[in-house]
Amino acid sequence: MKFRTNLVIGAVLFAGVVIAGIFAPWLAHTDPVMDANLMYAEEAPGSEFWFGTDAQGRDIYSRVLYGARISLTVGIVSQLINTVIGVCLGLSAGYWGGWWDDVVNGLTNMMLAIPSLIFALAIMAILNPGLTSLLIALGLTNWSFTCRLARASALSLKSQGYVQAAKVLGYGDIRIMLTQLLPNMLGPIIVIGTLGMGGAVLAEAALSFLGLGIRPPYPSWGSMLSDARDQITTAPWISIFPGLAIFVTVLGLNLLGDGLRDILDPQARTRRA
Amino acid sequence: MLSFIVRRLLQSLPIILAVAALIFVMFSVIPGTFASSMSDDGRSVLDAEVMARMNKEFGLDDPVYVRFGKYVSQLATFDLGTSFRTRQPVAHVIADRLWPTAQLAFASMLFAILIGVPLGFVAALRPGSWIDTISMIGAVSGLSLPKFWLGLLLMYLFALMLGWLPSFGYGGGDLRYLILPSIALGVAPLALLARTTRAAVLDIMNADFVRTARSKGMSESKVVRWHLTRNALVIILTTIGLQFGTVIGQAVVIEKLFSWPGLGSLLVDSVTLRDIPVVQGSILVIVLLFLLINMLVDVLCAIIDPRIKYT
Amino acid sequence: MLKKFVITTALALTLSAGAYAETPRKGGTIRFTAPYGSSFANLDIHTSNRAQDEIWAKAIHRSLYKWDANANKAVLDLAKEVKVSDDGLVYTYKLRDDAYFHNGRKMTADDVIWSLTRQMDGAKAYPGARYVRIIKGAIEVEKGQAKEISGLKKIDDSTVEMTLTEKVDPSFNLYQPMLSIYPADEASKDTFATKPIGLGPFKFVEYVPGSRLVAERWEKFYEPGKPYADRITISIMGEAAARDVAFRNKEIDVSILGPTQYVAYKADSELSKGLLEVAEVYTRVMGLNSNFKPFSDKRVRQAINYAIDADLIIKRLVKDKAYRATSWLPISSPAYDKDMKPYPYDPEKAKQLLAEAGYPDGFEFEWTATSNESWGIPIVEAVIPMLEKVGVKVKIKPVEGTVLSEVARSGNYQAFIWSLTSGPDPLTSLKCFHSATPQSACNYTLFKNPEFDKLIDEAAATDDQAKKLENLKKANAILREEVPMWWFNYNKAVMAHQPWLKGLQPNATELAVQNYEDIWVEASSPAK
Repeated sequence: MKFRTNLVIGAVLFAGVVIAGIFAPWLAHTDPVMDANLMYAEEAPGSEFWFGTDAQGRDIYSRVLYGARISLTVGIVSQLINTVIGVCLGLSAGYWGGWWDDVVNGLTNMMLAIPSLIFALAIMAILNPGLTSLLIALGLTNWSFTCRLARASALSLKSQGYVQAAKVLGYGDIRIMLTQLLPNMLGPIIVIGTLGMGGAVLAEAALSFLGLGIRPPYPSWGSMLSDARDQITTAPWISIFPGLAIFVTVLGLNLLGDGLRDILDPQARTRRA
Repeated sequence: MLSFIVRRLLQSLPIILAVAALIFVMFSVIPGTFASSMSDDGRSVLDAEVMARMNKEFGLDDPVYVRFGKYVSQLATFDLGTSFRTRQPVAHVIADRLWPTAQLAFASMLFAILIGVPLGFVAALRPGSWIDTISMIGAVSGLSLPKFWLGLLLMYLFALMLGWLPSFGYGGGDLRYLILPSIALGVAPLALLARTTRAAVLDIMNADFVRTARSKGMSESKVVRWHLTRNALVIILTTIGLQFGTVIGQAVVIEKLFSWPGLGSLLVDSVTLRDIPVVQGSILVIVLLFLLINMLVDVLCAIIDPRIKYT
Repeated sequence: MLKKFVITTALALTLSAGAYAETPRKGGTIRFTAPYGSSFANLDIHTSNRAQDEIWAKAIHRSLYKWDANANKAVLDLAKEVKVSDDGLVYTYKLRDDAYFHNGRKMTADDVIWSLTRQMDGAKAYPGARYVRIIKGAIEVEKGQAKEISGLKKIDDSTVEMTLTEKVDPSFNLYQPMLSIYPADEASKDTFATKPIGLGPFKFVEYVPGSRLVAERWEKFYEPGKPYADRITISIMGEAAARDVAFRNKEIDVSILGPTQYVAYKADSELSKGLLEVAEVYTRVMGLNSNFKPFSDKRVRQAINYAIDADLIIKRLVKDKAYRATSWLPISSPAYDKDMKPYPYDPEKAKQLLAEAGYPDGFEFEWTATSNESWGIPIVEAVIPMLEKVGVKVKIKPVEGTVLSEVARSGNYQAFIWSLTSGPDPLTSLKCFHSATPQSACNYTLFKNPEFDKLIDEAAATDDQAKKLENLKKANAILREEVPMWWFNYNKAVMAHQPWLKGLQPNATELAVQNYEDIWVEASSPAK
């Protein structure tokens, strides 16, 4: 059915990107940084350079493959940070309530109100552009939705029977949160996580455009795309392939997230009591 | 209703103060100053005496807590300070950018709503059909494109190749200049709205009471249809409100590309040039706008569905 | 390559000369662009030293001198004549009596004195202060010890006497738009910040911050018959790709080109007819901090120059939109030695030098760079494999422009790459390498060479122009030998213009800054 198509296509695309990233050293033809021969600059796609070469004479095919590593790292790590922060804050806020809940709510509202791109930009400027700064910047700006979700789930689940039982048994709060509540809200959190990964990849591209992206030696799709924007009319392949790579990855992640949501939709499932 | 609005406004105060404090702290530790940014193109490098005077003139020599104290007392009198770059009150600098920002934000959201919501609706009414599949794939695609790429493509296609629209600029009231930037900016909210609308409508259509009513043999009476629309509307409106805020922030890239004189490009330029009062002021204004818009949305939702209670 | 420069400049001059042979048409709108950012600082040009702001300022304001691109020097603009005293310290200017501000008032000596004094206001920080400091008594005003500049005297309403602190040519200091002459009475009012009034060929109409500035012809401009155009619109367009589209779509009349568009426009049969190329007075360099141990050895610095194939990078990456640098002074400099050869590409020699200096296995250093496409990270990326070949490993440190400016002045770097002004006055630009010049001023690499210092001191003291140039040439040669920096290239500025726009000048100090009164628009322009 239609629902499953989402999942399958998304998973296939995502898996493809992951494989490309992991096996880049074997799949690639050249070293993405050192094999720069200015004599071959801006050659159109052909038999030797499948995706053509960029302005430095580097093989775009190899750079796109290695770029998968960066984009996946950016997506996965930043979302991991987002999720950890969001879950910690939201779960505890929902479970404990009271003043802590107010504080977390205030924090969440604040983060929702500040434009995330600008905030990430400022953090990048403070920490100096680089992969770690990017991960920190993206990780710190996108946890609000996860937090809200975790909080709402905690609120609705904490009155469940098994939670009360655990309390009676003398389980500590942290133990309850981690073993009883968390597993039951994983579904939607994973969905938001996959969707967020796509957003992180796009954010990296936007930050590159604004001059604060990830920089060499790693080839990142975002900076490849941004660097090539002047050559859109003369050597479009330099931007088309990283652009396509971003598109395919984000599309795959979005479809995957949609598919997961369709499966894990709380209204559709009846398990776990 | 009035008490709700007042309460919301009061609740916004600590948020605004927290944002102000956070931004202040962040920009007091950032490397580079306005003075050093004035020599960043290696052209006529600012000499040391002028730089020292500049830092003194802007109060950057004072210790952090003094600067923060001054800043807070200024805020209390609604004084956003003076821009380092323009030497004008920050409020003026921002005010110049407000109308273009509003135009862009409204136009892109209008584009997103007028196309996205009906699209999602139609998709939801026939789940699994080819209309559904195509529109959802289209929607997801819209969310998967880097904005500046899309903007460049639009510019290239509609301005250069087809010659239908001007490629850049503000136009000072000529709405044709608004079209391409709005589309580039509105594609993502459009996609999100289409999906949200579809999900909202689907959820409600599958909800118990509709199923029950149908199983009882009732035809889709007006009441049921109104319930459906009302619930869906609440969700959709909330999404619109959130997207409005996102759009103002995301507009940066589009503004820079199309030379659109909005708040976003002012903000980014000010960050690059370390014009700190303008950065602080613009972020505060954007946050305020976001909070206001969402409050309006919540009010609308409460009007539509009085069952919604707001604490 | 020098031949190429001469030919290109000759071509440029012929184009403009040829243009002058035609009769300028009166009327029309000049649609100019300001490509260096997405905004102007403000409408007070005294506060900004940026080329971006000079672009609008040249329409509305004037200074005592103006840059004559064809003569490649500053000429009197607001003054009719100047008398210099024998000791070279007192300049007496006879001001024009046909210069009117846009509000109708005639310019007087008071305005000149007021405008220059304003620069030294100790409570504010005007970047032009460093150029006014050559006037005696200016420093006292800056320090708050005096209200007026003692060396600036009003002789009568149209005569100003300026006494300098040292023997320098003030034309190099006073031609800049940031030293424009304001109306003393109007400029003190608050309204001036939103409605500037000046002596320029166009008067202010409207400013949309972040978008454009519009000005219309000032009928009482002092050059008869000028300006030719009725209006000028300056659109702020920082994105090269967007400018490209707008230019091809005939929505703008000029566009400064980057390397990619340079190649594309050169290859296009129509677009290639409207290209103005000029060797600008910017030298792109890699600064090598002499405090970093490997770079303190001249052999290492020379090795770096031998190891990098600069010609290949210029040809392939910069797309020939630059001239190979031999040393610090650019081609258009009067003290440029056209017989001096740049370092050849010789990786073997580089390895040999490194071994001699004690680094047979190379070493590693950190290179600070911005994301600028012409002199930033893309260049660094191209150089890295070349240095790798001789054993030198590079770690890139990407920074923003404002941070680069900070670390270069504080010495907080090992190597940086930048584009620095190396003209138009060779003496001032070479002074940057004088040991007395602090690192925070422009001696970023802490260069110290007694022979060099001697040559510069002599050149500053002498009145003999020939000897002066001789010394400066020798000093430049020392820089080539000692290589405190990797000499990369001199910028070639390229401006594309529509066929109906005539009168552009090959301004070597900054091509994007033009004297708009000399530009006219043919009837074939789509703008009305």
